[in-house]
Amino acid sequence: MASSKRQKILIVDDSEMNRSILVDMLEGEYDTMEAEDGLQAIGILQNHSTEISLVLLDIVMPKMDGFGVLEIMQRRHWIETVPVVMISAENRSSRIDQAYELGITDFISRPFDAQIVHRRVKNTLLLYAKQNDLEALVAEQIYEKQQNSALMVDILSHIVEFRNGESGMHVLHVRTLTELLLRSLVEKTDQYHLSKEDIAAISMASSLHDIGKISIDEKILNKPGKLTQEEFVIMKTHSAIGAQMLESLNVYHGEKIVKMAYEICRWHHERWDGRGYLDGLKGDEIPIGAQTVALADVYDALTSKRVYKPAYTHEKAVEMIVNGECGAFNPLLLSCLQDISENIAEEMAPKQYVGPRHAELSDLLQDFSQHKELSASNRTLQLLEHERMKYSFFAAMSKEIQFEYTKAPSMATFNSWGAKWLGVEEIVMDPFHNETLMALLDEQDWQTIFEMLDATTPDKPNAVYECRLLHKGKRRWFRIVMQTVWEGEEPAYMTGTIGKAVDIHDMRTNLESLERMASYDGLTDLLNLTSARKQIEARMKAHPDNNYALAFFDLDHFKNANNTYGHAFGNQVLAHVADLLRQNVRDADIAARVGGDEFIIFLEYHQELEAVIRRIYRSISGGDFQGFTVSLSMGVATTETVDPIFTDLLKAADQALYAVKQSGRGRFQFFDPSLRSLKPAGGSYADQSISPIESQDDEKPQG
Amino acid sequence: MTLQELYVEIGGDYDEVRGRLPSDKFIQKFVLKFLDDKSYELLLSSLENGDGEEAFRAAHTIKGMCQNLGFTTLMESSSELTEALRGGAPTPQAGPLCERVKADYERTAGAIRRFQEGLPT
Repeated sequence: MASSKRQKILIVDDSEMNRSILVDMLEGEYDTMEAEDGLQAIGILQNHSTEISLVLLDIVMPKMDGFGVLEIMQRRHWIETVPVVMISAENRSSRIDQAYELGITDFISRPFDAQIVHRRVKNTLLLYAKQNDLEALVAEQIYEKQQNSALMVDILSHIVEFRNGESGMHVLHVRTLTELLLRSLVEKTDQYHLSKEDIAAISMASSLHDIGKISIDEKILNKPGKLTQEEFVIMKTHSAIGAQMLESLNVYHGEKIVKMAYEICRWHHERWDGRGYLDGLKGDEIPIGAQTVALADVYDALTSKRVYKPAYTHEKAVEMIVNGECGAFNPLLLSCLQDISENIAEEMAPKQYVGPRHAELSDLLQDFSQHKELSASNRTLQLLEHERMKYSFFAAMSKEIQFEYTKAPSMATFNSWGAKWLGVEEIVMDPFHNETLMALLDEQDWQTIFEMLDATTPDKPNAVYECRLLHKGKRRWFRIVMQTVWEGEEPAYMTGTIGKAVDIHDMRTNLESLERMASYDGLTDLLNLTSARKQIEARMKAHPDNNYALAFFDLDHFKNANNTYGHAFGNQVLAHVADLLRQNVRDADIAARVGGDEFIIFLEYHQELEAVIRRIYRSISGGDFQGFTVSLSMGVATTETVDPIFTDLLKAADQALYAVKQSGRGRFQFFDPSLRSLKPAGGSYADQSISPIESQDDEKPQG
Repeated sequence: MTLQELYVEIGGDYDEVRGRLPSDKFIQKFVLKFLDDKSYELLLSSLENGDGEEAFRAAHTIKGMCQNLGFTTLMESSSELTEALRGGAPTPQAGPLCERVKADYERTAGAIRRFQEGLPT
């Protein structure tokens, strides 16, 4: 194995002794991590999946058993990169079969045999080693897609191009030019005994000339600029590696095309004078296929733009080759090149490559690139890991709770900041039966969220909800942004939800205090008229058939208090009355200060309204506040005699109040429709009801 | 008491263990560790509390350890108990089997303790 770093093995077993035995057996050669149940194992895999080379997994464990772990590993595709060897005292074959179906690589039954444990671990690690993996994959892909040589060639050559980042045309150009050169060659001489089939096979095989590059580090492969001496040495190994890959393709052994491809891979950098590589072959020691491809390769390299050089013209390229600037070639082939010079320009002109296998090929390539990602690209995983780290760092800074929920298995995952803040585990199985988690939100909020999520679709997967989350016994406002995750097509099915929750408590409470400031009267902390009216109207609208009453009162001789003791004292009186009012109305009642010394009470009643009003009236009126006798005049209107419209009720109550004032103050009276005529034409508060009114004692009739 | 004598006393298979595990030192380390494991206590308490699943897991763990250490006698009785408890619903045999496991465990643990006392410090 290329890496000299020790490989890490995760040992999952609920028995401490069993874990210790395994650690003792393996620690000489490997690093180990331990988990004492399935849930812990998942947590470790989640955070260390790129580090762990192998999992030794027990079956029977608390919290989550080995099968549970396997199922999650499979769902999350971890099993494709992290092999699992199952260890258990279980020896019933149905269980073992089940484990193999879930993707385990091997099975070790108890009792442990040190040597067997060693060998199984080693074999499994070898099996998953990168190089083997790649070769196995290539062979498997090819085998699966049946023995179609042409397809094989396309696949392999495109793999290389994918990686090289070449235009995709290089392979095609080399192939075309090889074919043109060979056709010209057989017209000149028959010394190479080339049949039509041979030409076809060589041309096809030419596409494979660079497959060895698959094992060259991308940094060297795609280096913009000249390679150093060492890098060039590494680069040169691609010839041998390509040949070796073809040799190890058991499936195709013995086929002509594979033989040709082998020769081309190995010797397409040899030169006629023996000064090329790999083996320093000379003249016709070099198979004619390899000679031809070498020439074609050089021509296409010259006429293509590279990071370190511009594209030369066709004429310039031919001139350079013939002058030996790119090494020596078979003189016969050079004359072929010159003969077909005119054809080349035409044949190689850019054209759309639309082969009959195009669609099939792109499917395959997609397949392959997916596999390649899984097996080959530790680097990608590391990049992802890096991104994840970055993201969780920023998430921690921004105090976000991030979460992911998967339906099957029913499991919620939180970022570590979020989990800590909420006081839950980072991974919660069966979250909707987890009491801690469910207690975070009110039942009603959960209900709403579920309904919102149910209403999402693959096209509109987002939902936003604001609610309060429990934190250390207190609730804070959060905005929860969610997106449902869908799989499959027609019909797509929801597989889970991802989302985050952002703390908006301060913002929200600021807003609330502003709202509050706008709704409440600063002196008495009672509602002001505007907001009282809103609430009252909402109440009546919600249940228009109920009975409501509106009481409107002011303080008798309040002006005297102001005049005698000053405005500060007057304010104290008002605050005192407001306190009494607050203490003596029911929670559901609405009490407000209209302005000056005027107040209203709105209440819903079922019977005996007069008793209620009397109680309130008496609890406020008749007392003494620092020498000032608090006395009220109150008018009451009810929806039994007035329409349930706020302004109408207020007017009616005002009229009743007017009547009280006229008849000597210090009592309350219900609105009597027959008194309507007594109301003076103007000067009533109700006519200006919506704006707070300054004390207007002067304007009132002094009855 | 030697390790071999200990195995005879508790009805274990020393030769089999010696074939699997790397050294006497290795075996001795884990034989002594057996005393620290809490699965036996867990088995008894969970049976008392009627927690069948927990009892199954505890019996299963004891069985696994005994397999690894070659404690044949206790392994057999704990294995039978494990089967009687499987699925979390104890069969009628569970009671008598548990008595057997208790007897075997006490014999095994007692012998290991005496073995431990005899070790040079």
